[in-house]
Amino acid sequence: MLSIKNVSTFIEGKKIIHDVSLHIKPGEIVGLIGPNGAGKTTFMKTILGLTKFTGDISIDEQSVTENNHQALRKVGALIEHPAIYPFLTGRQNLLLYSESNSDLEEIISTLKMEKFIDKKSKDYSLGMKQKLGIGIALLNNPEFVILDEPMNGLDIESTIMIRDVIRKYAEQGCMFLISSHILGELQKVMTQVVLLRSGRIILNRSMSSLNQDSSKKYFVQMDKINLVEDLLNHNNIQNQRVGEYLEIDAQNIDLMQNLVFQNGLYLTRLEPEKLNLEEKIVRILSDKEGSNNEE
Amino acid sequence: MISDLNKEFYKLIHQKITWIAPLFVLVLMIIMGISMNGSEQKLLIMTSYDSSEWILFALVVVSSTIFTLEFQNNTILTTLYKSDNKLQVYGSKLMIVLIYNITLHILAIIFTVLLQLTPLNVHLSWLMINQYQQTLLSNLLVTTLIDIVSSTLIISIIFFTSCIVNVNSIVITLNLAIVFLGQSASSSLMMANLKYIDVIKWNPLNMINLTKQYYNYGSYHFVSHLSNSQLLVGNILYSLLFFALGYVIFRKKKF
Repeated sequence: MLSIKNVSTFIEGKKIIHDVSLHIKPGEIVGLIGPNGAGKTTFMKTILGLTKFTGDISIDEQSVTENNHQALRKVGALIEHPAIYPFLTGRQNLLLYSESNSDLEEIISTLKMEKFIDKKSKDYSLGMKQKLGIGIALLNNPEFVILDEPMNGLDIESTIMIRDVIRKYAEQGCMFLISSHILGELQKVMTQVVLLRSGRIILNRSMSSLNQDSSKKYFVQMDKINLVEDLLNHNNIQNQRVGEYLEIDAQNIDLMQNLVFQNGLYLTRLEPEKLNLEEKIVRILSDKEGSNNEE
Repeated sequence: MISDLNKEFYKLIHQKITWIAPLFVLVLMIIMGISMNGSEQKLLIMTSYDSSEWILFALVVVSSTIFTLEFQNNTILTTLYKSDNKLQVYGSKLMIVLIYNITLHILAIIFTVLLQLTPLNVHLSWLMINQYQQTLLSNLLVTTLIDIVSSTLIISIIFFTSCIVNVNSIVITLNLAIVFLGQSASSSLMMANLKYIDVIKWNPLNMINLTKQYYNYGSYHFVSHLSNSQLLVGNILYSLLFFALGYVIFRKKKF
């Protein structure tokens, strides 16, 4: 388990990360999102003991400090750009960090790198370098993997493959912390979302709770829609007609279902409002700001 | 530490320059042998065909690359988190360059022995008495040993400058200037400030004279104003100082 308690990071005397706490359990895939300059990369570097920080970071109860990285033995990372020596082939780059040959071959075949792995990496395309960088991070059966913008430069096929590989490793208990600007991509793979802004965590939710919380409206479809509309208006239940559907607030959904049932009517469709990750987060943040203003 | 050393060794042996450098040294030793045309044969052997200059040139290129390559390719982050601490990263890089330095000097001795066997050179007995009442073989070995100490000072300056500047070409240019212009800069500085010569003679650039002064004491003592042993101690102390300063900068560096 990764445990981060009250961590603050300082760069050139300036506080970049402010008192951040985060816990990641085995098998969890945490998506780290935030605007440019939010401190995502600095936060990732801090976990890797690459910056000066206060607070506690531990992996499986073993502390990470700026000058003691022993707890990082089972950690893999891709930070900023793939860390590749251009004068080495892809295989030699992997060999540099690999502890077992079978693991190395598995990574090559899992990431489908057979075609280019024996060529000098200085001739690689951005996508090839990215795959190799991810391969280095996944070497030696890591318990925790940090990926900073892993889908950069990857084509659709490779993106889907990397997503599957991440899920496969997570099923085996590997923890992931992934940052990406492509929220749609993260949404497909992460189990928890952490939003960082100005070096502070302003949102930390599991994807399931995020889905529940952000569905504020439901769409209802039924045969006698005019009748139901009258019934709801008569009982002062706020609703809005949208074509063949009625839009109803989530808080009124139980009340509406009881009324419909008592009047011998049937729903043909009941669907929560579908929002993408970006819209959900914007809605949660605006709700938060609203409640803060009320306070 | 062993793991870090293995990684540094792996990186070093897979760079072309590592293998080109000894060939470059050999070619320049041959050219030196031919150009001297049999004169000063004892001095040529004692100095391994003046290999110290070419070894320094090779060391500047290889050592400058060892840090700047990591910064330029962003591999320093992986190198750092995969290692237990920064001292191990710095220490393993240092050890590998020092081993490479010793290897180049051993190769220079082997090349000298081989060149002695060729018809291009005048054959001399290894056991003939030469400078410092020592045999020619002893002179060769001691000069090599002294040159290893002297080149270690250059390596320490390279490590120091590499930790300040991340651009390979700048580090190489700067250090080549120190190697090839440092002695004359130091000499000019002393000549221009004769009043303070007792202090200025201890400047680090003056220490680079060590090898040359060892095989040509008469000429170089008037340049350095220090004895051989003073230069030797100066080399060791300045090496330690620059290695330590380089480490402090490396440790404080923002990655």
